[in-house]
Amino acid sequence: MGSSSSSTERIPDAQELMQETGFSAAHLVRLYERFEFLDKDDRGELRLDDFEAVSELAMNPIGDRIIGAFFSPGRETVDFPSFVRILAHFRPTDTNRTRNGRNGAQPEPANSRTSKLKFAFQLYDQDRDGKVSREELLQVLRMMLEMQVTEEQLQSIAERAIQEADLDRDDAISFDEFKKSLEKVDIEHKMSVRFLE
Amino acid sequence: MADLRPSRSRFCPRLTAAFLCVFLLVFLHCASASRDAVSGGNDTGIRPVRSTQEDPHDHHGNSTEHKKAFPVLAFNFEHVRKPFEISMWILLALLMKLGFHIIPRISHVVPESCLLIVVGLLVGGTIKAVEGTNAPVLDSKLFFLYLLPPIILDAGYFLPIRPFTENLGTILVFAVLGTLWNVFFIGGTMFAVCQIEGAGLGDVNLLSCLLFGSIISAVDPVAVLAVFEEIHINELLHILVFGESLLNDAVTVVLYHLFQEFSREGSVSVGDALLGVVCFFVVSLGGILVGFIYGILGAFTSRFTSHTRVIEPLFVFIYSYMAYLSAEVFHLSGIMSLIACGVIMRPYVEANISHKSYTTVKYFLKMWSSVSETLIFIFLGVSTVAGPHVWNWTFVVFTVFLCLVSRVLGVIGLTSIINKFRIVKLTKKDQFIVAYGGLRGAIAFSLGFLLTDSKMKHMFLTAIITVIFFTVFVQGMTIRPLVELLAVKRKKESKGSINEEIHTQFLDHLLTGIEDVCGHYGHHHWKDKLNRFNKKYVKKWLIAGERSTEPQLISFYNKMELKQAMMLVEGGSSAKLPTVMSSVSMQNIQPREPPRRRAMPNISKSREEEIRKILRANLQNTRQRLRSYSRHDLMIDPFEDNVSEVRLRKQRVEMGRRVTLMSFHLCLPEHQVFTYDDTESPRSAEMKPGSAAVQLLNESPQRSDQSDAEPNAKQDDQEEQLKLSRCLSDPGPNQDQLEQGSLVS
Repeated sequence: MGSSSSSTERIPDAQELMQETGFSAAHLVRLYERFEFLDKDDRGELRLDDFEAVSELAMNPIGDRIIGAFFSPGRETVDFPSFVRILAHFRPTDTNRTRNGRNGAQPEPANSRTSKLKFAFQLYDQDRDGKVSREELLQVLRMMLEMQVTEEQLQSIAERAIQEADLDRDDAISFDEFKKSLEKVDIEHKMSVRFLE
Repeated sequence: MADLRPSRSRFCPRLTAAFLCVFLLVFLHCASASRDAVSGGNDTGIRPVRSTQEDPHDHHGNSTEHKKAFPVLAFNFEHVRKPFEISMWILLALLMKLGFHIIPRISHVVPESCLLIVVGLLVGGTIKAVEGTNAPVLDSKLFFLYLLPPIILDAGYFLPIRPFTENLGTILVFAVLGTLWNVFFIGGTMFAVCQIEGAGLGDVNLLSCLLFGSIISAVDPVAVLAVFEEIHINELLHILVFGESLLNDAVTVVLYHLFQEFSREGSVSVGDALLGVVCFFVVSLGGILVGFIYGILGAFTSRFTSHTRVIEPLFVFIYSYMAYLSAEVFHLSGIMSLIACGVIMRPYVEANISHKSYTTVKYFLKMWSSVSETLIFIFLGVSTVAGPHVWNWTFVVFTVFLCLVSRVLGVIGLTSIINKFRIVKLTKKDQFIVAYGGLRGAIAFSLGFLLTDSKMKHMFLTAIITVIFFTVFVQGMTIRPLVELLAVKRKKESKGSINEEIHTQFLDHLLTGIEDVCGHYGHHHWKDKLNRFNKKYVKKWLIAGERSTEPQLISFYNKMELKQAMMLVEGGSSAKLPTVMSSVSMQNIQPREPPRRRAMPNISKSREEEIRKILRANLQNTRQRLRSYSRHDLMIDPFEDNVSEVRLRKQRVEMGRRVTLMSFHLCLPEHQVFTYDDTESPRSAEMKPGSAAVQLLNESPQRSDQSDAEPNAKQDDQEEQLKLSRCLSDPGPNQDQLEQGSLVS
């Protein structure tokens, strides 16, 4: 523990970040190293081209959306705390934390099931109106299926998806409907990255 | 009065079944007895000695010396003895299975495997009493070459890949390390027990004990399948125990051969032990490689079978069986080979073969594995009665006790290590079920049977049988109430949901992206790489035609559409028929119409053709995705259930359907391609118009005609039915299209 605490000294507001996100010191250090690696010009913050330099992201069908998620609306750079906060969503859920319950003052931890789903939902919902409209769903489908399908197939899939999930018949998928359609999926497992054990 | 009748009807099948069995057996033995009589009679009789293979009909040619009346009826049992006996055994097994399901009370308490063993005991006892000599025993060759492969293939082919690969690490740890721990713990402790004075076990040396340990330690896939299937436990636990039972075969094979060699030699050196470790890797990886090769071969072959659909299922079976046999030739792990073959072959074969072939494969596998399992348990019972038993209280009691103890210790110990690496930890309840589900079965028995004959072998066999009985009866019977008591999570029945599929794929991409951002090469990263490789190279080689470029989402979507269309055909529309009539539902239709109407005018005739072509191409080769992997699911699969329920109302359904068909035919004579889709989509008011494309095939005037036609339909359905039957009696071009696509299952 001694060596890592000296490394965390390089990181601004390390203790607060650890408190907020639940990352351990070792994780935080590793993330900081990764941040510095991505930050080619040593600016202390990441820009769009830094993300695009990651080659695998370019091949990812929803790569642009993922990159976009790191940037707060209106900002053009990502600093380390924002970087860590986004990645905190993907920390494995602490089962004991949720078991013991939370006092009312504490906000929902970033890596709870609801927060993870909220993060995913926001990737769908680009205009942030709290609903995924048919057009937004079509956009996502187009991105995922790339050039391999015809427009009619896309339309029918989107149509079916909305009808299946849309319980209040407003022709869009709200966050609760989104959560419901994924109730059988083990989100805690699926949306977790094993950073460093 | 009412109570009496049902109980009587429940009683009768059981009695009938019992009588039938006894009758069959008696007949069998009379036959074998009379065989002696016949051949004996012939020897002393008029005709010269004839061989048993000779055709009974040409015996009249031999009787040149004596004038004998032409035998109108002759009895020659020897000719068909072997197949006859086999068929009788299978018939017995099937009748038993039938009987148990007619009596619901017992099958809720006692798992089927127990009942079958009891039946085997009874049969064995009867044979011994009647004939006095040995009953047929579970011959190891019969077991390993004929009875085991279908079960393993069934398990491997329908193995749920996602949970399996997600938990592969855990499964491997349990399978390899768990079995090793069991072997050495049991072997070592039994040796210590054998040293106890007064137990009469002094002649059992360490190597024999270890050999015994290696036989008894392995969790048996057949027993696990039989018991776990009936309790419908959640997916994770099922795959953990089941996966472990499959993968521990490699360890068992290696250790068994190792200790057998060593006990023959008498001593073991360090070099030998190292060779043993190497052997383990060779056996397991070699087995997987053999299975992989045959799997690829099978997939490749299925690419060219579009003109000979009838033999497609055979390719699946034969290639898999060859994989098993080839692995057995080299003493590699046949089970792992079979699993690998099935897993590799499946996605490509399913994309290539027709729907009917897929159904055939599914049903044949379930059928064979069902029969095999039943036979195995019956034979276990029979063999128990037959074999010479050497009962040694100390040995047996300690064996049973140690098996339990070592299993529990092993699971707890390993879980504490595994949980450090798992995202979703295994709880105490999970650990308990995993430990409790470590059932032993026929594999242990057969391995024991292969030992060289000696007093020790019989002692071992007795102990093995006792352990098997204990695990299957005690653990098998109590696991269900325990599961309910502990409130273990059960299997969730899930219908296919397009949303789930879309979002799951989305999340896959998301996680891959996040892993890339973190620079972490985790599970998702490699899965994504594999998928890319698969899409780019492998699919092109192994999948025929345009389906090689079909994205997974589209295939899933098409499957769902097909499933829904078939459900509607089979009877869903009967439920919808009355609701369509009611005005309330009519009102519900209206708001839906505007969005659809909006889309319609924009599509031209040429687009329609295109759409129809797409549908034809995509729906042609779709199959139903099998979400579950248990044997009984063929009976309780929700889709099938619907069907059987609704068959009661089939007449009304048929009428309704024909009405629409007819009215549709009258309205749009040229749209005769997809009878099902065309008729069903306008019908269903609340049916999600899965394909807006199909909707587009019906122009709006037609639909209003439909809705008008429906109220009238009920009134004049008599004459319309007549007209319809004429229509339907000459389906014409539809048949050819449907033949290929086989929407008719």
